[in-house]
Amino acid sequence: MNDLIDMKALLDGVDVFNMSLWLTGALLVLVLIGVRVAFATALIGFLGLCLFFMQKQGFDKGLITAMKLAGQVPHSKSTTYSLSLIPTFILIGYLAYYAGLTGYLFEAAKRWVGWMPGGLGVATVFATAGFAAVSGASVATSAVFARIAIPEMLKLGYDKAFAAGVVAAGGTLASLIPPSAILVIYAIIVEQSVGALLLAGFLPGLVSALIYAGLIVGLAKWKKTLGPPVGGFTWKQRFASLPGASPIFVVVFIIIYSIYFGWATPTEAGALGAFVVLGMALWRGMRWGQLRGALMEAAKLTVMIFSMIWGVLIYVRFLGFARLPDAFASWIASLEQPAMLTLLAILGAYVILGMFMDAIGMLILTLPVTFPAVIALNGGEGVLRADSALGMTSQEVAIWFGIIVVKMAELCLITPPIGLNCFVVAGVAQDSKLPISVQDVFRGASPFFVADVATIGVLIAFPSIVLWLPSLM
Amino acid sequence: ATEWNVSVWGKRRAFTEGIEKLAELVEEKTNGEFTMNVSYGGLSKNRENLDGISIGAFEMAQFCAGYHRDKNPSITVLELPFLGVKNLEQEVAVSNAVYSHPAVEKDLARWNAKLLMPSPMPQYNIVGTGEPRDTLEKFDGMRVRATGGIGQAFEAVGAVPTSVTATEAYNSMESGVVDTVAFAQHAHLSYRTIDIADWWTEDLNPGTVNCPVVVNIDAYNDLPDDQRKALDESVPEAIDFYVANYGKLLEKWDAILKEKDVKRVSFSDDEIAKFRKTAADPIREQWITDMTAQGLPAQELYDLVQKTLEEQSKTN
Amino acid sequence: MSTSSVLEDGSTLSRLDRLWFRFESMLNLLSGIVIFALVGLAVYNVLARKFFNAPVPGYVDWTEQFMATFAFLGLAYCQREGGHIRMDILIGQLKGRLLWTAEALSTITMLVIVTALMYGAYFHFERSFDWGSPMWSRDSSIDVALPLWPAKFLIPFSMGVLWLRLALQLWGYLRAWAENTATPVAVPLIESAAEIANKEAHTVEGADE
Ligand code: NA
Ligand code: NA
Repeated sequence: MNDLIDMKALLDGVDVFNMSLWLTGALLVLVLIGVRVAFATALIGFLGLCLFFMQKQGFDKGLITAMKLAGQVPHSKSTTYSLSLIPTFILIGYLAYYAGLTGYLFEAAKRWVGWMPGGLGVATVFATAGFAAVSGASVATSAVFARIAIPEMLKLGYDKAFAAGVVAAGGTLASLIPPSAILVIYAIIVEQSVGALLLAGFLPGLVSALIYAGLIVGLAKWKKTLGPPVGGFTWKQRFASLPGASPIFVVVFIIIYSIYFGWATPTEAGALGAFVVLGMALWRGMRWGQLRGALMEAAKLTVMIFSMIWGVLIYVRFLGFARLPDAFASWIASLEQPAMLTLLAILGAYVILGMFMDAIGMLILTLPVTFPAVIALNGGEGVLRADSALGMTSQEVAIWFGIIVVKMAELCLITPPIGLNCFVVAGVAQDSKLPISVQDVFRGASPFFVADVATIGVLIAFPSIVLWLPSLM
Repeated sequence: ATEWNVSVWGKRRAFTEGIEKLAELVEEKTNGEFTMNVSYGGLSKNRENLDGISIGAFEMAQFCAGYHRDKNPSITVLELPFLGVKNLEQEVAVSNAVYSHPAVEKDLARWNAKLLMPSPMPQYNIVGTGEPRDTLEKFDGMRVRATGGIGQAFEAVGAVPTSVTATEAYNSMESGVVDTVAFAQHAHLSYRTIDIADWWTEDLNPGTVNCPVVVNIDAYNDLPDDQRKALDESVPEAIDFYVANYGKLLEKWDAILKEKDVKRVSFSDDEIAKFRKTAADPIREQWITDMTAQGLPAQELYDLVQKTLEEQSKTN
Repeated sequence: MSTSSVLEDGSTLSRLDRLWFRFESMLNLLSGIVIFALVGLAVYNVLARKFFNAPVPGYVDWTEQFMATFAFLGLAYCQREGGHIRMDILIGQLKGRLLWTAEALSTITMLVIVTALMYGAYFHFERSFDWGSPMWSRDSSIDVALPLWPAKFLIPFSMGVLWLRLALQLWGYLRAWAENTATPVAVPLIESAAEIANKEAHTVEGADE
């Protein structure tokens, strides 16, 4: 073997495990200086594989093995049936907007709960929760409601930061209440049932919505200038608002009915919902140009998400060869402190990371390491409830941690300096010539950070909120 | 010292105990000079383990022939429906016979792979909900989750093979998307299909999936003689351990059937003969025609399986 | 469809940029149509199974094969539109030649990994392809044995399209450096958060256009 460089000798004694830590550091630098995340992670993963195989097989052969190995990951990891839900969930959100569902939902919510202190804010939260039942993505949900809800709130003299914050936070409900693209991604990475995770998100989504609503009422009572109630709707007007919003209920009914009565698997039910919404959008006058636009956007967002998935998984493949996740998991399990404390420390790390990262990227980057660690923390695979550190079986922990960590990831959408939902809300507002800056939105969203921490506390204290629905499956 | 990476998937279970035992034995026999790191899914996706061997990414791997028939046409003979295999010992015997046939060796050598040992699986009997289906007639219109050759066999007698993933099998059966699911016992347990089953066909024995363990040819040849010898000598021991261990699971299976009140459905010899004639014979004929066209000694391989089975039955 | 973030002029570079963009848009639309078609296939599968007891044979296999289209065909389109996620708090502070140097380096980084992946993915395709076999197939799906090579071919193909896009962008950044301009053509310009959000808002806004 006449290698260009005698890599075997050069790399002899280099510890792959230590190197994987250095490369992980290099990855953070690349991401920080603006290399697109999908390609930065793929590159670092590829370099790691090069290192591993050059050490073993020499320069030429090692390089080729690394290329062949990295090159099979995109196809291998992208063509997995459950991931086919992601574009469906994205498309359905765009279609629901074209079907005019957002406006109807907001109107209905306003008439029913507008009388409360901060009534329009409460209405916005419930309307976003309703829209979450057809939308799989947080950012899109905030974007559509910013256009509808903020102008109405400002008209009634709502505080502008408060109004914008409500919309930014409300959008995050879309990722807990099924359908949810990010829950599917979690399920794929940790190899859990997609159906179980989607079901598990439902009640925490509602709890989260109720805590948001409670917070809004409390704030509006405490500080009258935030937002007055809107009254004067008769019961007749209230019921009259329901038919417009009813398609949401139709879609939810179809999904639940079809799963329950054996028409469809949970995966197929998502497609049924999308099809119904498409029918409505067409019926309400959607044109080819608009459909084409929706398809182009859905395709673009899909390819962006898939690139992140395979990019990160190339990096994860390298970690697999370096055995980093195993090492981290056994380190976490060996810590001599209460399991809950360790878990809180991990969640704390997510808060800090979440300030700078977007939700999906953060999850796929961290889960391959944190998930096995949390399972090990609980007592390992197949642990009995009685012997476990967190009082749950490993399968239950997998679902419960999924909901917690997705909620954490959603939290990062409203924290500065990088908070995608806040950017989007500010952008829409400025586009509509409203005097709302990014800083305003972050300021308005800050109380909801507290609400989210409270929600996570509730879910940690009462895991059954997460686990009850999937246990019925 | 030699360090091999071994790629398997899923969790550690009866199906992977053969490899775990092999690693243990080899390390023992070489005084720790030859070790194996068994990785559960960290190195490759299960359907790409042969690719990984071919690339030289790892030295040993497990896979199932039915995952990708075109990658390994020769060993799909072992997945033909109704071969007549009744237990794990017979499955080991027919697998070993086929694995050492020169045409099969050549087929796998395209992937730079050498067949080392089988991971024998019991027959893919079905579990179902509702009234037991104990005659061929009752299979008509039955939606069954069964892939590949076993699916084709059921289709031949009027059942409807229905495509759902293994992870969705439980939900699909519970809600009625499918009526029945075909798995080996350990999979009925881990995918929980047994939890909602009303009945299980104990002697339909429609066929199984063949899952060999392979090694990278270069890595195998590069082993020092003593290590290669340790590896070769450990194989029969590892298989014996596997079969005994899987046997324990099958004993547990009987208890589980009782506990969950699952009815054992038995078929008359006539019914099975009828099934064989309608499904197995045409599928086998087709297989032999197709594989012969690809230049494989298909008839010879099939006869080898039957001859081995006969000999096995005599010695037992 | 918004192309506002990429400037145009009459230069060869800009003409090539627009020409390639037409091709990229076509591929992206194709993948959008496949998303749509898969929703249709799922609905058909459910209804045919329910009413005629005739589900699509190998439905999961078919879905998985078609996923390769929407997972990859839009790769270059997304890059042209600046759609792949990145953090631009640091790079967003840079101006002039420093900015174009940084962007060029970032593009070269991408070119390196895309070259490696194109090569590796090509071999992944090649392992599944065999002139001598029925349907040229040497790797097939689990249930109904569909050949896998067409789906596997899409990856080196899409990486190739992306490679050319990156080469155009590198050219664009180098030209921007040479001309020391603030308004270069054929490269996605860093937008402020507000501009990004505007675009996001416009995409869901079409209903009243
Ligand atoms: Na949702
Ligand atoms: Na943030």
